[in-house]
Amino acid sequence: MLWEGAWSRVEKQRTRLSSDLGSVRQNSTLWKQRTKYTTRPIGMKKTGGRDHTGKLRTAGIGGGHKQRYRIVDFQRLNLEPGKEVQSFEEKVIEVRYDPCRSADIALVAGGSRKRWIIATENMQVNDIIKTSATIGRIAVAANEGDAHPLGALPVGTLVNNLELYPGKGAQYIRSAGTCGVLLRKVNGTAIVQLPSKQQIQVLETCMVTVGRVSNINHNKRIIGKAGRNRWLGKRPSSGLWQRKGGWAGRKIRPLPPMKSYVNLPSVRSES
Amino acid sequence: MSKVIMHRLKATNPLCALNPFNEGSRIHTRLSRQNVAGQRFFSISGCLCSRAPPPRKSTPTVDIPGLERVTYADRMHYVPGLAKPKFPPWHRGWHDPHHFTGPKYEEMPLYKEKPCYMINQRTNMLEGVKQALWLTKSKMIKGLPSQVLSLAEDTANQIENQDERVQQAIKHARFWDTTEGRPARERFCPVLVQDLLHLCRTLQVRHPSLGKRILAENYSLAAYWNRGADLFQVRGRNGLLLNSQSPLPPVAGKEEVASTSDLVLETFYPISPTIDLQLSHVFQEKSQTGFQDGYPYPHAHTLFFMESGVKHRLQPEQLRAKMIMFAFGNALARAQASYGTQPQVLEQPIVVQGVATNGRTFQFAVFQLNTTDLGPDTGVKNMLWLDDDQDLYEYAKVRPIIKKKVVRVPAGLAGYQPDTFKKFLALYLHGAV
Repeated sequence: MLWEGAWSRVEKQRTRLSSDLGSVRQNSTLWKQRTKYTTRPIGMKKTGGRDHTGKLRTAGIGGGHKQRYRIVDFQRLNLEPGKEVQSFEEKVIEVRYDPCRSADIALVAGGSRKRWIIATENMQVNDIIKTSATIGRIAVAANEGDAHPLGALPVGTLVNNLELYPGKGAQYIRSAGTCGVLLRKVNGTAIVQLPSKQQIQVLETCMVTVGRVSNINHNKRIIGKAGRNRWLGKRPSSGLWQRKGGWAGRKIRPLPPMKSYVNLPSVRSES
Repeated sequence: MSKVIMHRLKATNPLCALNPFNEGSRIHTRLSRQNVAGQRFFSISGCLCSRAPPPRKSTPTVDIPGLERVTYADRMHYVPGLAKPKFPPWHRGWHDPHHFTGPKYEEMPLYKEKPCYMINQRTNMLEGVKQALWLTKSKMIKGLPSQVLSLAEDTANQIENQDERVQQAIKHARFWDTTEGRPARERFCPVLVQDLLHLCRTLQVRHPSLGKRILAENYSLAAYWNRGADLFQVRGRNGLLLNSQSPLPPVAGKEEVASTSDLVLETFYPISPTIDLQLSHVFQEKSQTGFQDGYPYPHAHTLFFMESGVKHRLQPEQLRAKMIMFAFGNALARAQASYGTQPQVLEQPIVVQGVATNGRTFQFAVFQLNTTDLGPDTGVKNMLWLDDDQDLYEYAKVRPIIKKKVVRVPAGLAGYQPDTFKKFLALYLHGAV
């Protein structure tokens, strides 16, 4: 994430832009260029689907209720500065709706730090959740909401917030009600089935959260009327009649092959 | 799978366990050279794996004295082939407050290596009273002390037509104060406190020693102490302070104070007691009661907190914590002024009272500072009597609440509770009767 590294480049750009009032600041992304973490909501600017040049990048976006962004820490194993521990615990203070994503978010506090994380299905206020970095010889009996490396968990565990590379932060299985399954552990790697039933192979040191993501009834809600989609910032699709072609209807295709995110260095380059 | 096995063998190599920051190379170049697979570097963030910024063009500039490059400085415009001129940084030559950049924290004269945790009037402590008790090393006793309660029960201390006059004070604050429809909380909360204090002051005829009091606004407090391995400070302004010429008598006797050393302070793992406190490296170790030496009313008697903020509103639990911290801060500053800054068990404990309100609900506290030796968890503790969430009235409505054509709450004052003002009055009279 951008806010974690102290990127002086961004800071320079900020000062230059703020001082240069004459320039056109089309869709500037200054609001998201903050280096310091905060749990306070940040005011967002709506893009209307336009990119920084002002051209339409994504159709069908525009309007909707004003939303504020809460910085979610996707790196569960994000230690407080100055601490080197193998596992730590945190307490859930608040579980709430987040306008920027389908899942709910939870405010957790541990040590002298607070942060937002993605809430799991049964996470409640005053729960204690654990984050561990150790991979023992025996698989742990993890509670829901705990975060462990894939290698520490028993095969068949339901997981979410999957990291593709160790330390990068969760990128997969983050939306409401989803979960993956830890299928196998092979030679320091783990194979996880994604909600799309595709299988991916990642290193066993990748962190995951145990359980299912919160807001499991997200897909059962009834939008009810066209206007509610407009509240959510979705514009109506084109009313133009188009002949149904190959895009329509059920397709039968084999599952794509297992994707591997294990970039092991080749033997030749190492030697 | 021979690759994997090779790699796992390599992962045991101690060279990999070195902190990558210690070496001169940049992180991402190192990442591409030597894969981090199979091991984690703690406290390195996701920037390790994210896409690296584009590589900088690094043309080394060589400065040979006597061989300066020809620049286009005198041409005053860009000329291909000539070097870009280098000018010394431009200074305005005068102080412009709009373009003022302060010095870095590290260069400030008050910068210290060891940080300090600060508590001010806007500190919103997550764990509330529990956290305040740990920070002040205190034992909490529910309810007010017996001395204060006996003052509250004694009918001789009451004002004539007390209940009627208090209700008039509430009505003044909530209904009659403005010509607006409904005064806001910022308005009626201070008015109510001032009205109640005025009622209390009318007892001066019966108790002349009440005249040896003075009310101070906007005084600035500074107190610091060591707790565990950390340094803490209470700083800044808060509410009203009732000062008196003579100190309050100790509430708990010597035996009761000595018995507090058995108490084990409550912790709230996994949350640290320093959560939500402001951490700063630039600070001054200052102990100041807010009044100059020789001030005729040196002893803090009661603090009044009015929680009327709109933007930074404190919940009752956090308000109680703030009340405890500031009552403690006042007592500590007084102790440090009287007995010196050396941590010690005080011969004569210092008592400071606190009253916090949001215009309807009152929180009462009596804090007794027994010791300034707050570093270790053992030894004598300070004491706190806390009476929380005392309603003065239930509803004061300008317009009635009507639901389904039934009046749920009528307009006007409803649910007045006389006991709350008795406690308020008892805290005021404490030390004078």
